[in-house]
Amino acid sequence: MHKNSSENPLVPQIVEVVKIIDETPDVKTFYVRDESGVPFNVMPGQLAMVSMLPIGEGMFSVSWQEEQDHLEFAIKSVGLMTSEIHRIEVGQKLGVRGPYGNGFPVEKCKGKDMLFIGGGIGLAPLRSFIKYCFKHREDYGKIQIIYGSRSYADLCFKEELFELWPREKDSETFVTIDKPEEGWEGNVGFVPAYLEQLNPDPANKIAVICGPPIMIKFVLQSLEKMGYQDEQIITTLEMRMKCGIGKCGRCNIGSEYICLDGPVFDLAQLRQLPPEW
Amino acid sequence: MKDMTDQVKEIATKLLESGQVDVFMAWEKGDAPHQSKPFFARNVADVEKIIFDEYCIHNLSTYLTRFRDGKEKIAIVVKGCDSRGVVRMLEDHQMKRDRLHIIGINCPGMKDPLEAMKQHSGFERETGEKGLAIKCLQCMQPNPVIYDESLGEIQEPHFKGERFTEVKALEAMSSEERYQFFSEVLSTCIRCYACRQVCVACNCRTCIFDEAKPQWVGRETSVGDNFMYHIVRAFHMAGRCIECGECERVCPVNIPLMLINRKLIKDVDHYFGPYDAGMAYVEGGKPPLSLYKIDDPDDFI
Amino acid sequence: MKILKKNQLDTLWERLARNAELYLPTQKGDQSGFFSYKTLKPEKDTLMLDALNVYLSPKNIVLPQTEMMYSFTHQGQEINLEEVYEDPTPRIIFGLRSCDVKSIDRLDTVFFTRGFVDEYYRSRRENTLLILNACYHPGPNCFCEAMGLSPRESESADIILHDAGEEGYIWVANTEKGRELTGNIEDILEEKEISYPQPRPFTREVDYTGVAEKLKDMFSHPIWHPLSDPCINCGICTYVCPNCYCFDIQVKTRGEEGYRYRCWDSCMYGEYTMMAGGHNPRETGMERFRNRFLHKLEFFTERYGEPLCTGCGRCIAVCPTGINIIEIMEKAKGVEPSA
Ligand code: SF4
Ligand code: SF4
Ligand code: SF4
Ligand code: SF4
Ligand code: SF4
Ligand code: FES
Repeated sequence: MHKNSSENPLVPQIVEVVKIIDETPDVKTFYVRDESGVPFNVMPGQLAMVSMLPIGEGMFSVSWQEEQDHLEFAIKSVGLMTSEIHRIEVGQKLGVRGPYGNGFPVEKCKGKDMLFIGGGIGLAPLRSFIKYCFKHREDYGKIQIIYGSRSYADLCFKEELFELWPREKDSETFVTIDKPEEGWEGNVGFVPAYLEQLNPDPANKIAVICGPPIMIKFVLQSLEKMGYQDEQIITTLEMRMKCGIGKCGRCNIGSEYICLDGPVFDLAQLRQLPPEW
Repeated sequence: MKDMTDQVKEIATKLLESGQVDVFMAWEKGDAPHQSKPFFARNVADVEKIIFDEYCIHNLSTYLTRFRDGKEKIAIVVKGCDSRGVVRMLEDHQMKRDRLHIIGINCPGMKDPLEAMKQHSGFERETGEKGLAIKCLQCMQPNPVIYDESLGEIQEPHFKGERFTEVKALEAMSSEERYQFFSEVLSTCIRCYACRQVCVACNCRTCIFDEAKPQWVGRETSVGDNFMYHIVRAFHMAGRCIECGECERVCPVNIPLMLINRKLIKDVDHYFGPYDAGMAYVEGGKPPLSLYKIDDPDDFI
Repeated sequence: MKILKKNQLDTLWERLARNAELYLPTQKGDQSGFFSYKTLKPEKDTLMLDALNVYLSPKNIVLPQTEMMYSFTHQGQEINLEEVYEDPTPRIIFGLRSCDVKSIDRLDTVFFTRGFVDEYYRSRRENTLLILNACYHPGPNCFCEAMGLSPRESESADIILHDAGEEGYIWVANTEKGRELTGNIEDILEEKEISYPQPRPFTREVDYTGVAEKLKDMFSHPIWHPLSDPCINCGICTYVCPNCYCFDIQVKTRGEEGYRYRCWDSCMYGEYTMMAGGHNPRETGMERFRNRFLHKLEFFTERYGEPLCTGCGRCIAVCPTGINIIEIMEKAKGVEPSA
C-alpha cells in the first residue's frame, strides 16, 4: 500500500485551482496546477477526469495546456458535480487523472486549411486545437472559426473570440447568436445556417465540429451538401464515462470505447459504428 | 391446459384480427420444456406461439409500464395475482382502463419455471420434481378481481392456514434479535434490483435508487447500504404491494422479501384498514397511504 | 501420474489455507458460490465440487462486487490522499470449471491490455492461483466448447484436477506456479497410474461460427424487439456472468474522511449510460438488451478476438423471464440480415 501512486491510473493526483474565469452564466474556466506545474502533458482534444473528491468525478476535455505551467478546464454546470465545482474558490484542491483519449489528429492535419465549427460549450475542446494551430502557425494553412451560442452572454472565451483570434495571421473568426439582441451587430441565426451562408470551400480543408448533438447533426448535413468528404470531417463524441481507461465498459459505441479510442473520430470512422451516437 | 391455450388463442385471434387491440400480452414456450416466457403478440401470425400452461407464472401487469406513454390498445391475460397488479397500475394512473382488454384466468396454481431451470441446471444438489410455486401455495386470490372476460372454473385458494404466522414470529423477536436477523439475511443481497424491476408497484419513472443528484442510497454491497435499500423499498411498498410474490421468486439469492412485504401488509391493514391492495378497482381509488385522514393513527411516529 | 486421494482433501485445504486465502465451491445457506475456506461451517455448508458449478462465479475474487480504491481526507480547501487499497493477498481458487478459468482469461485481456493496466485487478490477479476441476459431465445449458474452449484443458489453470471417482483426482501441474505449489504439498499426493474418466458428450449443439459477423449488420434489425420483450432489465444475467466486467465508481464520505470504491454495474441498467445533462443514449430496455448480447457476441469479438461468453450457462438458468443466449444466437443466424 502506497501513497498517491502515479502508476495506478485510477488514482488521481492532487492539484490546486489557481485561477477561475467566469465565461458565461453557466460556464467557468478553472486553471489547475501542482507544485511543479502541470500534473501531466495533454494533447489537444484529450480528456481528463476531474474530481471533487468528496462529491464526484467528471470527465472533461482539457481546453488548454499552458506550457508546463497549468491545465485549463472550461466546465458547464449541468449536474451535481459540475454545480458543486462552480461554487469553489481559488485555492481549492482537486483531483485530476489522465490524460485520456486519442485527441485531435494534429499531425495528420498539418499543411491543411482548418475550419472549426463550434456551438456552446463545444468550443472548449476545439479551443485546445485552435490555440495549438496558432501556436504552430507555420504548420497549418488558413484558419476559420465559426462559433455560435444562444446569446451574447452564452459565448465562451470572449476575449479570444473578439480580440485575440481575429488578430492572428491568415485567420477568420465568425460568431453568431441564436436570437437578435440589443447591441449585437454580428450574425444572428443557428450555426448550420451560418455555415451554409459562409460556404467555406472544401479544397484542402479539414472541418472540426464540436457542439450539441443536434447542431452536429445539421452541420454534418450542411458539410455534405457543400461537398466535404467523410475523411475531411472530424468530430468528438460524448458518452458517460467512469474509468477513462477502457475498463469499466460504459462508454462503448459498438466495439469502440469513447474514452480510449475516441473521443475524436472522423466521419468515415463514425459511419462504421452502430448508430448510437 | 391444452384447452385453455386454445381458448386464449381464439380470443387473441379475434381481438387482433378485428383490430380491437394492437398488442396481446400472454406467454410463449421457452427454450426448455419446463419454461414459459412472456410474449407479446402483435399480429395474427404471432398467435400460434401463444400458450397457457402450468409455467405461466410471470406477472404480466408489470409490463404495462412499457406502454404507458402510448396509445395502443392492449389485451392482457391475467391470473388472480396479476389482476391485482392491473388494479395497481390503474390506481397509480399508469394505464387507462379503456386501453385494456383483460382476459382473466381462474388460476389453479403455477409452477416456477425459474425453479425448474435451476433444478435441471446441474448446479443444484436436490433435483426432485418441484410442485406448485411457493407464491402460489401462499396465494389468497387465485381468481381475477378485474376482467372483461374470464376463463376456467372458479378456484379455491391453496392457502388455508394463518396468513401472518411468520410475521408474528418476527414481531415476537426482541429488537436486537430482529436486527441480528435482518443483518444476516440482508447481508447477502447483491443489489441487482431484480426485485424492483419485476414489481408492478415499482412503477416510478425515475426510481429513487437511480437518482444521482443527490444519490440517496449508496451502491456498496455493505450491510449499511443494503439496509438502506431494503428500508426505502419497504416504505415504498407499504399499502401498494399486491402480494404477487414475484420479487421473492426472482431474487437470485433468496432474500425473504415476502416476509417484509407481509409485515407491511399486516400493519397497513391494522392501522389504516381493513385494506388489501389491488383487490378491487374503483375509479379514483387510492391506497390508504396516499390519502390523509384526520383520524389516521400517529402514535407510532 | 500424481493422484490426490479424496480423503486427503481436508489435509490439502488445511495446508493451502496456511499461506493463502482459499476458496471452494460451496452451497452456503441460500447462496452457492466460491466462499473462503475459513468461513465454512461443516455442519451447515455443503461442498459443491461434484456439482456442475455454483451460481455465483469466482469473478468476485479477482473483481470484487465492491472494492475500495483509495481513501482521502478533506478539510476546507485541502485534500489529502491517504491510502491506495491494492490487495496482493495470495489467493487460491480450488475447483473452478473450465468456463470460469477462461472467463478469468478474458478479464485479464480487458484489465491488462490496450494501453492501461488496471492496478487493482493486477494486484489480485497476479497473486491468485487457479485449480481447475476438469468437466466430464457437461450440463444441459453448457456450451463452452462452442465458445472456443475445452472443458478439460486450459492454458491458464495452474493445476488441473481430473475426477477419477473412487481413485481420487489426477493432479496435473500446468504452469510454473502450479509446479511450485505441487512441490510444497507433494507428500500428500500419491504416485499411481490410473485411467482418465470417460467424458460424456454435450447435450446441446451450439454453433457460434459466423454469429459475430452476422450480428454486425443486425444492429437495427427488428428482431431485437420481440427478443427483448420479456426481459425486465434486471441485470441478474450480467451479475452472475463470470465474464461481465462493467463497474461503476462511487464515493462514500463521513465528515472529513472518505473513500472511493468501485462496484459492479450492468449495461442492463438505465442509469448506466445516463449522462449528467439527463440525455441517455440507451433510453429503452430493448437498446440495453441489444447492447448486452452484441457486446458479448459481436463487439468483444471484434475488439479482442474472442467472444465475451464462455458458455457456462448461468444466465440461462437464472433469467427470471427465460431469455436464453443460445436461442439468441440461433435466432440471429436464422433471420435475414437486414430488414
Ligand atoms: S413487492 Fe413483490 S409481491 Fe409485492 S407487488 Fe411487488 S413484486 Fe409483487
Ligand atoms: S433482494 Fe434479491 S432481487 Fe432484490 S436487489 Fe437484493 S439480491 Fe437483488
Ligand atoms: S436476467 Fe433475464 S430478464 Fe434479467 S436482465 Fe438478464 S435477460 Fe433480462
Ligand atoms: S453470457 Fe451466460 S453463458 Fe455466457 S459466460 Fe456469461 S453467464 Fe455464462
Ligand atoms: S454485457 Fe453489459 S454488463 Fe456485461 S460486460 Fe458487456 S457491457 Fe458490461
Ligand atoms: S469510461 Fe470506462 S470504459 Fe470508457
